[in-house]
Amino acid sequence: MITNLNPNANTLINSKRFRTILNCKKLKTKSPHQTLTSPLFSTPQKNKEKTYLFHHFTHKNPNSYSYYYDHNNTTMKKSIHYLIYLTLFLSYLTTTTHSWKKEEFRNCNQTPFCKRARSRHPHSCNLIPSDVTITNNGDLVAKLKTKPNPDQDSSDDHNPDLEFSLSVYKDGILRVKIHENQEKDKKRFEVPDVVLDEFESQKLWLQRFKKEVIGDDLLESFVVYLSDGYEVVLRSDPFEVFVREQGSGGARILSFNSHGLFDFEQLRVKKEGEDWEERFRSHTDSRPYGPQSISFDVSFYGADFVYGIPEHATSLALKPTSGPGVEESEPYRLFNLDVFEYLAESPFGLYGSIPFMLSHGKSHGTSGFFWLNAAEMQIDVLGSGWDAESKIALPSDQKRIDTLWMSEAGIVDAFFFVGPKPKDVVKQYASVTGTSAMPQLFATGYHQCRWNYKDEEDVKNVDSKFDEHDIPYDVLWLDIEHTDGKRYFTWDRTLFPNPEQMQNDLASRGRRMVTIVDPHIKRDEGYHIHKEASKNGYYVKDASGKDYDGWCWPGSSSYIDMVNPDIRSWWADKFALSEYVGSTPSLYIWNDMNEPSVFNGPEVTMPRDALHYGNVEHRELHNAYGYYFHMATSDGLLKRGGGNDRPFVLSRAFFPGTQRYGTVWTGDNTAEWEQLRVSIPMILTLGLTGITFSGADVGGFFGNPDTELLVRWYQVAAYLPFFRGHAHHDTKRREPWLFGERNTQLMRDAIRVRYTLLPYFYTLFREANVTGVPVARPLWMEFPEDEATYSNDEAFMVGNGLLVQGVYTQVLLFSFMTYSPPYG
Amino acid sequence: MNNLFIFITSISLFFFIINRSVVASFSSNDLIGVAPQDEVYYKELWSSGGGSVKCRDGSKSFTKAQLNDDFCDCFDGTDEPGTSACPTGKFYCRNAGHSPLIVFSSRINDGICDCCDGSDEYDGKTNCTNTCWEAGKVARDALKQKIATYQQGVTIRKHETDEAKISAAKDEAELSKLKSEEKVLKGIVEKLKEHKEQIEKVLEKERIQKEKEEKQKKEAEESKLKEQKGEDKVDEPVKSDDDKADILDNSPAGQDLKEHAESALEVVHNAHASLDNGEEHSVMEEDTSEVAPVSDPDTGLGSKGEDATKDIDSLSREDLGREIGSRWTGKKTEQQNHDVDDVKNDDRTSVDVQDEESNGYDTETEEDHQNYEDDTEDHMDDVADEANDDSSSSYNYEPDEEVDMSDIESESNPSWFEKIKKTVRDVLQAINPLQTPVDTSEAETVRKEYDEANGKLLKLRSKISRLTKKLKSDFGPEKEFYSLYGQCFESKQNKYVYKVCPFKQATQEEGYSTTRLGNWKNFEESYSVMLFENGDNCWNGPDRSLKVRLRCGLKVEVADVNEPSRCEYAATLTTPALCLEGKLKELKDELEVLDKQQPQIHDEL
Repeated sequence: MITNLNPNANTLINSKRFRTILNCKKLKTKSPHQTLTSPLFSTPQKNKEKTYLFHHFTHKNPNSYSYYYDHNNTTMKKSIHYLIYLTLFLSYLTTTTHSWKKEEFRNCNQTPFCKRARSRHPHSCNLIPSDVTITNNGDLVAKLKTKPNPDQDSSDDHNPDLEFSLSVYKDGILRVKIHENQEKDKKRFEVPDVVLDEFESQKLWLQRFKKEVIGDDLLESFVVYLSDGYEVVLRSDPFEVFVREQGSGGARILSFNSHGLFDFEQLRVKKEGEDWEERFRSHTDSRPYGPQSISFDVSFYGADFVYGIPEHATSLALKPTSGPGVEESEPYRLFNLDVFEYLAESPFGLYGSIPFMLSHGKSHGTSGFFWLNAAEMQIDVLGSGWDAESKIALPSDQKRIDTLWMSEAGIVDAFFFVGPKPKDVVKQYASVTGTSAMPQLFATGYHQCRWNYKDEEDVKNVDSKFDEHDIPYDVLWLDIEHTDGKRYFTWDRTLFPNPEQMQNDLASRGRRMVTIVDPHIKRDEGYHIHKEASKNGYYVKDASGKDYDGWCWPGSSSYIDMVNPDIRSWWADKFALSEYVGSTPSLYIWNDMNEPSVFNGPEVTMPRDALHYGNVEHRELHNAYGYYFHMATSDGLLKRGGGNDRPFVLSRAFFPGTQRYGTVWTGDNTAEWEQLRVSIPMILTLGLTGITFSGADVGGFFGNPDTELLVRWYQVAAYLPFFRGHAHHDTKRREPWLFGERNTQLMRDAIRVRYTLLPYFYTLFREANVTGVPVARPLWMEFPEDEATYSNDEAFMVGNGLLVQGVYTQVLLFSFMTYSPPYG
Repeated sequence: MNNLFIFITSISLFFFIINRSVVASFSSNDLIGVAPQDEVYYKELWSSGGGSVKCRDGSKSFTKAQLNDDFCDCFDGTDEPGTSACPTGKFYCRNAGHSPLIVFSSRINDGICDCCDGSDEYDGKTNCTNTCWEAGKVARDALKQKIATYQQGVTIRKHETDEAKISAAKDEAELSKLKSEEKVLKGIVEKLKEHKEQIEKVLEKERIQKEKEEKQKKEAEESKLKEQKGEDKVDEPVKSDDDKADILDNSPAGQDLKEHAESALEVVHNAHASLDNGEEHSVMEEDTSEVAPVSDPDTGLGSKGEDATKDIDSLSREDLGREIGSRWTGKKTEQQNHDVDDVKNDDRTSVDVQDEESNGYDTETEEDHQNYEDDTEDHMDDVADEANDDSSSSYNYEPDEEVDMSDIESESNPSWFEKIKKTVRDVLQAINPLQTPVDTSEAETVRKEYDEANGKLLKLRSKISRLTKKLKSDFGPEKEFYSLYGQCFESKQNKYVYKVCPFKQATQEEGYSTTRLGNWKNFEESYSVMLFENGDNCWNGPDRSLKVRLRCGLKVEVADVNEPSRCEYAATLTTPALCLEGKLKELKDELEVLDKQQPQIHDEL
């Protein structure tokens, strides 16, 4: 893997051009206006009373940003009211102007497995574990048998037993796998290449289990040790698995199937006259293997809120999607999609998927649940009282959040993390899927992108303008138009006749370039990548076994089958300096459209019955496709540098483990205040679920931000891990010097603050690299006891020392409040 | 080795210079990054008491120990001229052999050589070669080249602004002349029209009379025939007789007409005579603008006349009679008379003003320019054709425009005008419209003269509007852009031809398809940018626009057409108009400073 993890080894030499104010670390705080450029930040203070930082525009100079403290509560309350009204008004305005094509994406009702699972009644699961034993491998295994139904002939419609195994790992991690008997023609897909090899070595060999009768149960349950203070219970009837504090009366932490919603559709032979095909709009999914979905419920105890399961443009604390008082809502969907102009508040799936949920509450603290599964997933957060009709009482003295997990295919491979502190959970998750790669220093600076910097002249001009305006930046990006007809690894030679010279010129000032490489390959016999890929059978196949032929930027395109390690290796070799003509060692890569985006496919992606390496259907690994592509590209850069140059690869699609290969951004957002606002919870959520190096396009990709929005965006984004300005080609130029001297100054200050703090950021990236604790953290991660922080997703912590509050509305007359947690 | 040597040389040089220019008590490194003219500001730091100096922004003060200690005490950077501690600081490099440079403090010891003398990288981590001599030579040569260009450019510009003033004055004179001609011509056209109509009326009357007579004759014959059968239709001829009487009563008296003709001629004389009287122009313009509305009923009349000739054929006999009759009886007739009176009144006011100048001028010009008659006639025709082209194809206007320009100039020759005047006078005097029976050849002459004069009036008006538009344009404070009017400049880039026509529009042509990048908007940034806006709309985007940045150059040339944002184009245009004397002086001063440094440093090396 990455061989050079010493942050001091080569990065400091690599990135010598941090021409700004690193020396400002010595600036005295006597002139607070100097560092207190918006967004406000303050170090937590030892102060039991909350202090509120107010922010306002003075009447005389509407552009001046000044700050004062105000303890007048009435002012504050009024301000909050205004803020609320304004926010409501803005959200009303913006939702009406969006052009998200809702009808082009499947909702739960149009997704048969989701509809089936959602309509199942609690306690309809009739499985019972039997033959419970501890294996030589130190796992507890059992058979899940169908309870004989007294009303029915037992031979009729009898399901084979399911295989259950339970393993315990160091630091309070429980892994439960449920599988069907694999002696069938079609094997269910188990996601490889995500769980770290090292993780297996942290397994605790189970020696024995305790038997215990829970309550009035007729059957005995099995109890095994999990970690200090925690144990796992496999309850037999009703079948459930839960983690509790040690002792027979110990408080529950997490549980699986407590509501009996577990269902596992086993592969079977098609019945006479049965129709397995599914149709959506003009597309037909042949579904040759029929129904194979899995669903179950997971409960988080002592939880006030649940978090995680990106990627959705929604709040940090996940709102209930079902239950009393919840308007008809969709489950949170995990299905990697290229969504045109996504909404700022929606549970619909975006570009990436991480089926990892965390809970946090005052009484227990934090716990987590991760389902390793790459098929389409839908997750309901059930509002309290959702199961009122079932009249089955769980231990009721404990606060609890129930969730329903549904997936179209795959197996149950679930991980339970006991916490109990927020950082414990993210560390536990990181021990399974890995910590984020240590970025090179340059990658943590400011990036300048646009679709498109047109030619070498344009690049030169933009680069020199940064110096002219004394604005630091480290990376200039080239979008798809730099290629020869969207053939990646090539250059449009009329626009970029001398790409090496261009990169070397940037490099002479310590700067890097990034070019885009997407997974769709133009079907053109003259294109070397296509020629090799088609000759060697490296493309994903359609249901009939031919190379799948879709449509993307270059027109008719095929998609490299990155699931195959040999193909990944071939792909990685394409990044060698000798192979990628016109590349230099200072060139890094951007992977876009890797959901994969297929313009003429169902829901703008690949048909589910397309076939991958090992006869795996696309439906089974859809969410991991982009991950494999990202992995192969990152490996390519690693190979190129002989293991001594840490790769930088930005990806739009992601999956658990993506953090090991690079950076993620929140895709094609829009130049609206609402979208600036939602970028914070989106990025914080990514950090909670392992991907710390993430960011949103500064300014918003679609549309033209007004100047104040752009300035505000810079001011917040400067504190977010990945800091890149980007824009759609239909928008006006928006480089930071184009909006008048005053605004140039504000944006320069914002970017400079980032560079001032770069050593801090770099240290935090190293911390994330070692421990898995993210760079940008929700407040509750640092102040887990303070309930006021639990649903705050406007403010966030950079490391443990810097609280950042952005400004997410056009500030008119009123002041502005931020949270400042009590410390000590 | 070689590099090292140069480096050492440059360092010692650097010290040498510092030593030479600084008060003896400063050590050479103390004031690193300070411009020589600012050194005195820091003098107090070396005072015997260990004094302090105020930050330039007055916020604080600092001591010698705080100077360049890599810690920012003054927010404005006063205390850290030689380090990167203050974000707003500036570092001065002497760059001996080249020109001094002030760089941002962020450039100090950042591992990149920004000053050609390498003085910004003094921490020893980066070795910078002193490239000032070479760079200075290149810069000086470039500067000399630029100065040479400017020098020529300034001359050309001077010439062009002088020319522009003359051309502008000419154009204005031409315009006022055209305007006065227009006014006169309008008067003539009106008279001719009236004349023509009178003749037509008489002709019509004759015709009706003739018809009536024939009819009567016929009827008489018929009645003769019918006498035996009965006497049914006796009333009709009597009615016709009444009509005829009405018509005759309502027609204007011959005396009036003659009066009109004479007053029109008077106007011709007077207006023409005033042509060279520049001071009177404004008055003239005002007058014509007042008169202008009158032309509306005028043209209305014209069309009525047409109606009469066209439609009459299709009317039934009865309707025809009514129609013709209504000309005298209807409201329209009254209106017409009233309008004519207005014209007369207006003409008189202008005549009053210009009366003094009217003597002895017209005949002179008449004779002088008789010879050019034919030429100008041809030109007139050309103009008419071009006017048509102009409206139908907006992309190919510029060659026409050029012809147009020359045309307008050549038409300052007034002979065609004199000719018309004379002809009209002849016609008006020779032909009495009320004379019966009318001489048909005379009627034909009047009609021809009318058509000709009216055509000329229309052409004249289109010329006036074009010239007015031109003169309304903003040609810069010294009219330095005057010569660009009506011109287009092309630049070919890849498959596109970009065409920039100042004061008009800009286009992008690819093969046979043309895209409008914008219409002329105005100058911006004190005449250093030309703006073209509201071009063809971009799909899912804005209307196209083009921003042309102007530079000093000897020829007018378009270059570097670019599209930085989608459908927002940028280009540069070189023109002598931008070769400003002030700028030339600056450049010369710059060179002088460079040259002053140059020999001494060369000796050192």
